[in-house]
Amino acid sequence: MIDYPLLIFRVLVFPGFTFILLFTMFCDWVERKVEARMQNRMGPSFTGPHGILQPIADFIKMLTKEEITPCDSKRNVYKYAPILALSVLVFAMAFLPIDGSSVIPGVSFAGDLIFVMALVSVANFMLFLAGWSSTNPYSAIGAARVMTQFLGYDIPLVLLALVPAFLAKSLTISTIVASQWLPFAILAPWAFVLFIITMQAELEKDPFDVPHAESEVVAGHETEYSGGKLAFLKLARDVQIVFGAALITVLFLGGANGPVPFGFLPELWGTLWFVLKVLVIVVLSEYLTVLFARLRIDQVVRVNWQFILPLTVLSLILTLSLAYWVYPMV
Amino acid sequence: MTNLAMWARLKSPWVIHFNSGACNGCDIEVVALLTPRYDVERFGIKLEPSPRHADVLLVTGSVTKQCADRLKRIYDQMPQPKFVVAIGACACSGGVFQGTYGTLGGVDKVLPVNAYIPGCPPRPEAIIDGVVKLLNALAAPPAPPKASEEEAATEAPAEEVTEVPAETAPDAPEEVKKDAE
Ligand code: SF4
Repeated sequence: MIDYPLLIFRVLVFPGFTFILLFTMFCDWVERKVEARMQNRMGPSFTGPHGILQPIADFIKMLTKEEITPCDSKRNVYKYAPILALSVLVFAMAFLPIDGSSVIPGVSFAGDLIFVMALVSVANFMLFLAGWSSTNPYSAIGAARVMTQFLGYDIPLVLLALVPAFLAKSLTISTIVASQWLPFAILAPWAFVLFIITMQAELEKDPFDVPHAESEVVAGHETEYSGGKLAFLKLARDVQIVFGAALITVLFLGGANGPVPFGFLPELWGTLWFVLKVLVIVVLSEYLTVLFARLRIDQVVRVNWQFILPLTVLSLILTLSLAYWVYPMV
Repeated sequence: MTNLAMWARLKSPWVIHFNSGACNGCDIEVVALLTPRYDVERFGIKLEPSPRHADVLLVTGSVTKQCADRLKRIYDQMPQPKFVVAIGACACSGGVFQGTYGTLGGVDKVLPVNAYIPGCPPRPEAIIDGVVKLLNALAAPPAPPKASEEEAATEAPAEEVTEVPAETAPDAPEEVKKDAE
């Protein structure tokens, strides 16, 4: 029997929609603070304690602004692409075991890792459509860059996601998490490092943030958006960043498993460990963003095909051989 | 609801910077706002690349005849509610370029201006003060009991900022230059 009130609570409040959105806003604040502190600035300080409400203020402000639709745009695509991108990403989050089990109990099935990776591609494609449908030269260039980058980097991303799958001998996310008594980041550090670099490119963060390089293409695929649609587009990007960090946590850092098991309230402790690990990854990724300058688009593509893809294949071969001949003996 | 919207609007004014014919003196002062010394992100002010995202248009320099159309178009591209701040003597009235054959004069010849910040170039503190005054003026009209609180909230950081020049006025300009570099 399905417990409907519990199901609705899990989907809408915790660990579903509300929790994911609030956590996303919190991560956005953490990112801005880390960036500011690394540049010897203070970052948002006067909106709530230590500026913690800044992302919420930005979001509400954008919602209350006028919405402009360029008359040449493909109206329906222009209107729904940001909302679809956001909902696809939140849907994908629902498959990750945030508090030890996935958001909708019993929704995980054999091979849901592949399904989640496919959802990521769909969300990226929505961002491309958002730029393409606004028929602005800058948006079009930004959208084309989103596409170029994500077509290239999706291959290593999926191949690297197979490394934990091989180590756990399963394509099911919950099984991968359950088999990490030792996090896969320790068993296969080469894949972990490569996955972080590839994720950085997939999330369009420095040094791979060519799709919205301010000095070249204004705001990339977001250029024409204003008001509520811009709010959803920016939120989709932030959820994407949290999702990337959560995926790394699930595949390589053992998800909601803590180093010390606690007997009481396993869900609470699970969520705590999950949130902490995601925050570590978010801070690390923002650290890399501030540290590096932007590459050119041709360099971004070359880095992928010349270095990351061959290294990915090598790391896959290495992990496979270790998983079959060395690790079973340990 | 309107209080919430007003709070959000006061807390996150995103600006876009437009040079309508400045000598670059004012532009450097605007860019200095983003440096660690002045760091306007503390107040939620962000420099946005696209006029579609911005709330406040910062115009520097007198409006040249070439630029007038473009300035008008950038303003039209911004979503409502939008505000214009004229930065520097040139943007306020034409400044040293007043009456030359190539310029129209101040920004108010082309756009409705909400705040004038004089100076050649104005110090970054003056620009922050001007933007904060604009925000306070924004908060004032509805005048419900809440508004006074909001005003106090936005005024507190403003005072903090305007105190800076009093303490560090003699040596500040060199450090500003260093920051800008
Ligand atoms: S006010 Fe002074 S510094 Fe600013 S643009 Fe005019 S001449 Fe240059």
